[in-house]
Amino acid sequence: MDNLQKMLTWMPSLLKATEITLLLSILSTLTALFFSVFLALGKISKRKIISKLTGAYIFFFRGTPLLMQLFFIYYTLPQLLPAFNIKSRFFAAWLAFSLNIAAYLAEIIRAAIQSIDKGQFEAAKALGMSYSQTMRLIIIPQAYRRMIPPICNEFVMVLKDTSLVSIIAVVDLTYQTKMIASQRANSLVYIPAMLIYLVITAIFTFIFNKLEEKLSVYE
Amino acid sequence: MSMIKTENLCKSFHSLEVLKNVSITVEQGEVVCIVGPSGAGKSTFLRALNNLETINSGKIYIEDVLVEDRDNILTNKVKLPKAQRLAIMLELGMVFQRFNLFPHLTSLENIMIAQTQVRKRSEAQAREKALALLERVGLTDKADEYPNKMSGGQQQRLAIARALAMDPKVMLFDEPTSALDPELVGEVLDVMKDLAKDGITMVVVTHEMGFAKDVADRVIFMDDGMVLEDAPPSEFFTNPKNERLREFLRRILTKEQ
Repeated sequence: MDNLQKMLTWMPSLLKATEITLLLSILSTLTALFFSVFLALGKISKRKIISKLTGAYIFFFRGTPLLMQLFFIYYTLPQLLPAFNIKSRFFAAWLAFSLNIAAYLAEIIRAAIQSIDKGQFEAAKALGMSYSQTMRLIIIPQAYRRMIPPICNEFVMVLKDTSLVSIIAVVDLTYQTKMIASQRANSLVYIPAMLIYLVITAIFTFIFNKLEEKLSVYE
Repeated sequence: MSMIKTENLCKSFHSLEVLKNVSITVEQGEVVCIVGPSGAGKSTFLRALNNLETINSGKIYIEDVLVEDRDNILTNKVKLPKAQRLAIMLELGMVFQRFNLFPHLTSLENIMIAQTQVRKRSEAQAREKALALLERVGLTDKADEYPNKMSGGQQQRLAIARALAMDPKVMLFDEPTSALDPELVGEVLDVMKDLAKDGITMVVVTHEMGFAKDVADRVIFMDDGMVLEDAPPSEFFTNPKNERLREFLRRILTKEQ
């Protein structure tokens, strides 16, 4: 009983830190979503240079640990380029996560675009539509319904991966939990913290499932 | 003036030659059917006209304008301004074996989208034209339906309407009834017969010998990437000259009986 009471008293500060976790996850994913569309289109571009460059980007960010990327942006970049001294830890975390997520989303989007039947491109071409019209009006509207499930999956992963930013002292849910644990010398705080993560992922998974049902009307 | 003229079209996929010096002329208003065994290069020929396949060598004229002239697959010696090239390609409408309708758009939207985007017609003009075409192919009650909710025959009629919306001078049909259940073939052929009566130029790759016999002005037999016979249907079916065509007709016609 005593323990339960303690956990409840920690709740306000944990929930406050949860805002940072949510903010970082949502901001990074939205930023990444924007860039990943261009990365995906670059990857399938017929111009070799563009597809090679975007391929290299994706390879790099999927081929190295996210934590290392975070260190690289927060510690290494300022040393290499003094002009690039990121003061804000949150901004560094946002940047690292956006760059990383973009690589994963780009692959999701590329796969969805390439899963669309070749006949759709041919029909659009036969009707005189340009490449960009075809992509914008025919291919992406169909592909995006197929992207939603894996993108939602990715977002739920990101929600949990953001706990890594506690290592560069961004005050997210994980960091706050660690602080309480050491200040109060009480590791019970990990229980409510994990429950909060569970509840958030449950809420988002529920929303995304509803979204999927809605989008699958014509298929 | 010929509508379509090809000279010595050659096309190969890796080492497989699918078109070997195909030279065909289609006059304005003509209905030309192309028949032959599968793998003969009929579909590839049709797709080459529409630039869905790049030829390795040869020349293509559309309304006497040279649009393709190649010695190798990489360079087209004809350099047309983009707008003119688009205008010429819009003279050709295409109907595919597997319909290739846009599944995220309703029937009406399928017919409207290229009109507004490519022909730059207003929403209202495009809608009016789309409704008229839906009526023409007998799909007025399906205007707000999505293609996947329609039967194969209805989908193919919708695909024909979509192509017609661009006001092409030539309609290219790539085995338009091959993906259909037998009982649905008739309704699509009826729409095509109706078009032929209206005098639009048509090039039809088909296995429907009855259609070729009744509707075509000329029937072309292709086998092994070559044109082996090119004759009016009366001659083509009753007095075929090419030995392989005689063999082909024997097989087809005994199967049909």
